[in-house]
Amino acid sequence: MDREQVIKALKDSGKWGHKYSLWAIYFGTGCGIIEIPPVITSRWDAERFGVIPVATPRQANLFLITGYVTLKTLRAIIRTYEQMREPKYTVGFGSCPINGGMYWDSYNTIKKLDKYIPIDGWIAGCMPRPEAIFIAVTHLWTMIDRGTADAYKKYRKQYKYYRKNQEMALGKLEWPPLYPINEDE
Amino acid sequence: MVILYGLGSILIAFMVGILFAGISRKVKARIHWRYGPPLYQPLIDIVKLFHQESVSHGFIFDFGIFFSLTGAIVTLFFIPIGYIVPLHESGGLLVVLYLMLIAPFGIALSSAEAANPNASIGISRKFILALGYEIPFLIILLSVMTYYGTISFVEIVEIQRESTWGIISMPITGMAFLLILPAMMGLKPFDLTGAPQEISSGPEVEYGGIYLAMSKIQHIFLIFIDIALFVSLFLGGGAEPLTFFLKMVPVFFIILIMSTIYPRFRIEQAFRFCVRWPTILAFLGLLLVVWR
Amino acid sequence: MNKKNLIQQLRLTFSDIQLNEHEDGIIKIHAKKEQVKRILSYLKDNMYNHLALISCVDWIKEKEFELIYILTSYLDDKELYQETGDIYLKIRIPRGDPEIETVISVFENAEPYEREIYELFGVKFSGHPRLIPLFLERDYEVSPFRKDFDTRKYVKDVFESIPVIPEEEE
Repeated sequence: MDREQVIKALKDSGKWGHKYSLWAIYFGTGCGIIEIPPVITSRWDAERFGVIPVATPRQANLFLITGYVTLKTLRAIIRTYEQMREPKYTVGFGSCPINGGMYWDSYNTIKKLDKYIPIDGWIAGCMPRPEAIFIAVTHLWTMIDRGTADAYKKYRKQYKYYRKNQEMALGKLEWPPLYPINEDE
Repeated sequence: MVILYGLGSILIAFMVGILFAGISRKVKARIHWRYGPPLYQPLIDIVKLFHQESVSHGFIFDFGIFFSLTGAIVTLFFIPIGYIVPLHESGGLLVVLYLMLIAPFGIALSSAEAANPNASIGISRKFILALGYEIPFLIILLSVMTYYGTISFVEIVEIQRESTWGIISMPITGMAFLLILPAMMGLKPFDLTGAPQEISSGPEVEYGGIYLAMSKIQHIFLIFIDIALFVSLFLGGGAEPLTFFLKMVPVFFIILIMSTIYPRFRIEQAFRFCVRWPTILAFLGLLLVVWR
Repeated sequence: MNKKNLIQQLRLTFSDIQLNEHEDGIIKIHAKKEQVKRILSYLKDNMYNHLALISCVDWIKEKEFELIYILTSYLDDKELYQETGDIYLKIRIPRGDPEIETVISVFENAEPYEREIYELFGVKFSGHPRLIPLFLERDYEVSPFRKDFDTRKYVKDVFESIPVIPEEEE
């Protein structure tokens, strides 16, 4: 670390901490989870970047949604996302969360994940290589530096619309709304 | 003077603990044939955790983790780091013996409030393991107290400085203590309290933000305290903090390399191990001390 | 007993079934839906004691569903296994109101296969203890695997009608 980096770290230690210690929750939502074990083991080492897998959403601040999302998985994803602590970053991994991917005319998968939970960035590919994950992590660092990685703030502000979309897709939801919704706004 | 020594003690323990945590991640990575995170990575983790929002489950939840961190710090005040020992006239070995159980007790309080079954399983494992390693630990402390005839840490260090080190005069007891050190510190093969794959990180499953930071700092302090106990009782302490630190390094490296190689025990295997060989060796050491 | 005997015995025991034997060893039996349980228990007593799969085909032009029961055998003897092949049992039921009896009393592992066929094709199995959907979450007026289910129209109606989240007003 040279002097410029040390001064930048001391001036805004929150950003420095959030950048270089991204803890990803180890929840495999789809077929893309097959690419994650090579990333965190010896050959393509993700611990150099500060990314380690943790077992519980209370400790995590990065959520990689790998692969296609069926309606049943969407329930689990929303519950996990709402349990994570702010600030949190989500990355859509693979072509299926972007626009449906290979399952663009399926009867059971959702086509755009952006309508149900907020997403910071996407990684295209089916499946992306591990080097693509590292490039995505460095892009996320740049976004955190500039302050544009604020998808979680959008969830708080527009929660009314997100909840309505979730109810349209899944039917009745068993959990109460996360933020209070005023109906007369 | 007490306050100054106290703050110095906390600062030294924190810095040495972070250095040891960083070295352990780097050495583990190099043994796995990969590069590891930078050496100051635990510091980045703790700084991030202080800036993260945390959710509380009630008053006992906050109180429990705070209680355990305070217990770890108070235990630290009784152990001499060179000439820095804040509370040297009161208690010594006996006080350390029961203060070391405050830390898991605090975590148990907050796990009970968290109402997650994974936390209950984790903390019950920790208490069974504590029962396992307390048996040889008591016998070891009894033989040390009998041999030196005192319970004050400062006098024990001075006696070792005049004659030989503890590990040369009581080799079997030293060996027994070295065998139960990983169990006291919670490193592999005994890290079944917070096992991410089996029980979703045990008692830490509901921690986030500042609670997790305090839990990690408390874990770092416990590692420091356990190694410092071994160095004070068996390796002659140290006249200054620098010699103390230099004596801690080889002990840490032995335990680190053992912890990167072995897999995890189950709770009945760990308990059976702690009650079998370390207890037998500690008994032998006690018999040898009493005979002389 | 070996295969020739089995084919002869089957032709003798059951009256109106048709039996074909292919050159790669598979035996195909066409039967009526009332005889299913009897044929299956007969085959289970004679070495074919493993129900591998229940599958369904939608013949929309002939207005029929065809249920196929695939039977193999747990055999320890390798030479005997080379000689015998699988048995396919094919049943035709009308497409208008499809209903058939469950075979759980003969083969207990038929329960998830029948649930899957119920949720994807709409075939009712009478006597099934737990006929609830296995994968799907919503209700469909036309079951998804039928050939008159328009996937593009369904996606347009259900998923593309959900609006994009608007950007926040300043």
